[in-house]
Amino acid sequence: MNTLHLLPCMTSTIKATALFLLALIVQGCGEDSQKSTSENKTQMSHKMATGTLPTLSPIIPLEITSTVNPPTLESLQHDFDVFSWQSFIALNWPANADGSPNTNLTIGDQQGAPTVWQLWKESRDIFLPSGKKPPAWNQKDKLPTACQGLALDSLPSHAIYLTQVGKTPNVLDESEEPFQTGPLIDQNGQYTRFEILTNETMFNYIVDNQLYNKKGQKAFAKDTDFPSSNTQSKTVGSIMLKAAWVVMGEKYDARQFHTTQALVYNNPDEQPGVKPACHLETVGLVGFHIAHKTQDEPQWIWSTFEHIANAPTKGQPHSRSFYNYFNAACQDCAINQPPPRPWNPATPHTPPTQVERVIPITNEVKALNAAYHSALESAVAGSVWKNYELISTQWPTNANSPIDPTGAPAPSFLANTTLETYIQGEVPQTSSSCIGCHNNATTTAGLFSDFTYLLQRAH
Amino acid sequence: MNTTMENFVGLSAVLTGFSQEIIAPTLDPVDIKSEYLKKFQDEILKESKDSHLVSQILEQFSTLKNAGKSDQEIGEAMLSDQNTQDFVMACRKLIFMWYSGAWPTISNDGLSTSSELLSSKSYVSGLAWQVMQAHPMGDSKYRYGYWETAPAPLSDYTGH
Repeated sequence: MNTLHLLPCMTSTIKATALFLLALIVQGCGEDSQKSTSENKTQMSHKMATGTLPTLSPIIPLEITSTVNPPTLESLQHDFDVFSWQSFIALNWPANADGSPNTNLTIGDQQGAPTVWQLWKESRDIFLPSGKKPPAWNQKDKLPTACQGLALDSLPSHAIYLTQVGKTPNVLDESEEPFQTGPLIDQNGQYTRFEILTNETMFNYIVDNQLYNKKGQKAFAKDTDFPSSNTQSKTVGSIMLKAAWVVMGEKYDARQFHTTQALVYNNPDEQPGVKPACHLETVGLVGFHIAHKTQDEPQWIWSTFEHIANAPTKGQPHSRSFYNYFNAACQDCAINQPPPRPWNPATPHTPPTQVERVIPITNEVKALNAAYHSALESAVAGSVWKNYELISTQWPTNANSPIDPTGAPAPSFLANTTLETYIQGEVPQTSSSCIGCHNNATTTAGLFSDFTYLLQRAH
Repeated sequence: MNTTMENFVGLSAVLTGFSQEIIAPTLDPVDIKSEYLKKFQDEILKESKDSHLVSQILEQFSTLKNAGKSDQEIGEAMLSDQNTQDFVMACRKLIFMWYSGAWPTISNDGLSTSSELLSSKSYVSGLAWQVMQAHPMGDSKYRYGYWETAPAPLSDYTGH
């Protein structure tokens, strides 16, 4: 600050600044053998890699690949967006019974088949009410009592496939968006459902360090430091996911969504007055967050995807006759406002949420989405996955800043219209910023929990 | 130092005492500098009614910088009484804007200053917070419990 003494006006500047501060106080051939099928897929991927279409690969990327030297903010944003699409493709690859990607298939094959991430661990199977040690990675805790009557015998033939790969349907027991900002109501007047999942690396860290209950977190007595992906050892680090699902039927055409069978559970722990109830439903994916801790991004890389028909963008012409969460005929519907309380997913019909995207998708991301949609269509004609688009990727521009633990994220704000509907925008500390918000996350013992609020779910 | 923005950032760094990498980093997702440059150009034109003043200030900075003058020498020259009153006042207002995120208006009698915040972005970008090794009220990048440990050295905040 060696120039301050030069400034004859500094006294008044400081005074004015002080007054100013005070004022602020008060303001992604079948007839041959499996091997040849696999070879064909490999050749196809290679062709894509050398052609104009992006490669579709079941391999989760460990780090971005910088394409410009020296890199710029724009070039790096592109590289992170490519990372996001590569991750989305790999995670939504058809899965084997053990959760590994089925390399005899490609993404988009066998619509409705479980994908890699759908065999990951749901938060409700990690943080058990009793605080006891969660079941092993490939096992589930018992179903809620209300769901137990819906045993596997009652599942339709479609859902039996899920059983064949060793997975019971997911229990969707959350009807409010993260951070308790409110439920999201679909065009049928039903509550959108949510779930949070971790990969095996993250799950193992939680179990190994007994972070699945409050007692274990207190005994841990230090900041959480989940393993990051490592390009040297070629190991996949910690990844956590949030997914938003809409119940199919009436206004929703299941052919337009990635669907699965789910036990939709009304959880009495969410809101007072909610009675436990459970229904087996076909649900369609409408929102998808991917957070991946990498070696160079200790603040994690935050990717968010949505169904292409979720909502129009504020101030722009409507391009669709039907939106998942917007009704053009409703002229006086309040935009991006949660429904009035009380919130109860058992309500037969709640007025639908009128949603608009506040921050437009950039032209660069739109171009990348178009390239990946072409690749997906080229791999499987009519692939449902071309109905999903990247919104953006948030990443730290200065990961090792000594004064800013958020690492100056870019873009500064990022929201998914199904997961952060009501906190979209560009107001600091108010609008949705993945890194900015998760930077504040702690364990139940009040210590830094490494950018996840999951540990707060411990009992 | 060629472009208007480069000169603006260079001058701002000299006058505020912060390094360029702090106020306008190479990877700059916030990009407060663009907001400040526009405000600077608009307000100085409005106040001085001199359409050449901003370019004159930036050109003088460029000349001094290209002549190999130190930051100290450049700062002294920019704020020298040998410049016009409007020239010097514009430089002072530039400092005020960077530190407070607001544009100052001095009363006709010169005894008081009022200020207008540019935006929520400028509010959290004010260098005053950095000098205090603190954070704006209502917005913090520090983690829960940060108050338990001493802040990083001032040099980490200023870049010098």
